[in-house]
Amino acid sequence: MPEIERLERLAERLRAVEPYVPPPGAKIRGWNLVLAAVEQSNTARLRVHPIRRLVLATLAATVLLVAGAVAASADSLPDSIFYPLKGVLENTRGALTFGASDQLAYHLDLARTRLTEAQAMFARHRVDLADQALSALDDQLNDAALVIQAEKQSDPAVGAAMENRLRQEIATHDAQLAGLQGQVTNPTALNAIMQARDRAAQALQTAGKNGKSNGNPGASPNGSGQGNGTASPHPTPKR
Amino acid sequence: MRPLGKAASDDDRPLIERVRKGDQDAVRALYERYFDRIYNYVYARLGRAEDAEDLAIDTMTRGLTRLDLFQDQGVAFSSWIYRIAHNATIDHYRRHGKVVLVSLEHAPALESADPSELAVEQLSNADLHTAIRDLTDEQQQVLILRFFQDLTAAQVASIMGKSVGAVQALQHRALGSLERVLQGRPVN
Repeated sequence: MPEIERLERLAERLRAVEPYVPPPGAKIRGWNLVLAAVEQSNTARLRVHPIRRLVLATLAATVLLVAGAVAASADSLPDSIFYPLKGVLENTRGALTFGASDQLAYHLDLARTRLTEAQAMFARHRVDLADQALSALDDQLNDAALVIQAEKQSDPAVGAAMENRLRQEIATHDAQLAGLQGQVTNPTALNAIMQARDRAAQALQTAGKNGKSNGNPGASPNGSGQGNGTASPHPTPKR
Repeated sequence: MRPLGKAASDDDRPLIERVRKGDQDAVRALYERYFDRIYNYVYARLGRAEDAEDLAIDTMTRGLTRLDLFQDQGVAFSSWIYRIAHNATIDHYRRHGKVVLVSLEHAPALESADPSELAVEQLSNADLHTAIRDLTDEQQQVLILRFFQDLTAAQVASIMGKSVGAVQALQHRALGSLERVLQGRPVN
């Protein structure tokens, strides 16, 4: 008989072999064991879930903490632990501010903030921090003046309006500083306030100059500011 | 041949999804679908009911508790469960050694009109089972899966990780070897 035929017969014989069937007891025992293992496996999986929940809760708490810190930093004062974060946020805001009018508003807003901080620090007898806040205020006014100077070159009418706005702002600041000057007795504090008033007046002079005739627009009138429009709006606390 | 139940197929997918969601009825359905087949496969490989029972339970336990691993395999559940059974068999051999219950080399010769020809009809089921266990591991696997489990060449190819052509060639060689074992001649 040819091999292919013989092997086909053998294959047919194999197909006819009765299968081994497990005894009913084995199948029941098997099911009980499998079920127990599956339930144990499910329980183990569920045990993992609380850990995942804990991780998610930690993440959520971290996000809330960061958001809370950001919110708390918005009104923080130079002696607060959140104050450095306030500086970061102000710098970010500055980087996203475009256009002369918006930049002027940005610098004037920060100048007002620095003045408020200085008043608060004087009230708390933190003359060092108040001095830093006043220096930062002058930097903002000077940067505002430089923005105006640049705008005058491209649009003198708009530049003049912006200069008028700066003048009004500085007048307001000066009135507040004058009031503050009358309240403090500490010589260092008095000196800091007087310097701040002088530098504010210089900033107004800078804004009044024609941009083309200003040989050194980057110089700050008080010598401490960056004066190039890229100064940090925020004083670095020295504690 | 008595049927071993519903053939392995892609129908398992919905059941597997339900098992993963903790549905006990789906676990039961898969167990019912595969336990007898796995028991039969392992018994045919080992030849001992006690070992077959333990390994079949072990295979089903592993298969139904580690479905997370199955998702990554990219094969049918049926192929996966047979692979687990195969690996369990190999582990069993390693731990206990390969046991040959009866060697057909010493079995009485079967009568045939042509002495060189095998009297297939006179072979008992036990003779065939014992003879198969004298073959190589792959030859045993292909004969058991193709003829005892009634799987297609494609299904066997998936289980063994081979091409269909390779499975068909292996099946041909396995039948030739089985014939020689049954005739008491040396196997290739």
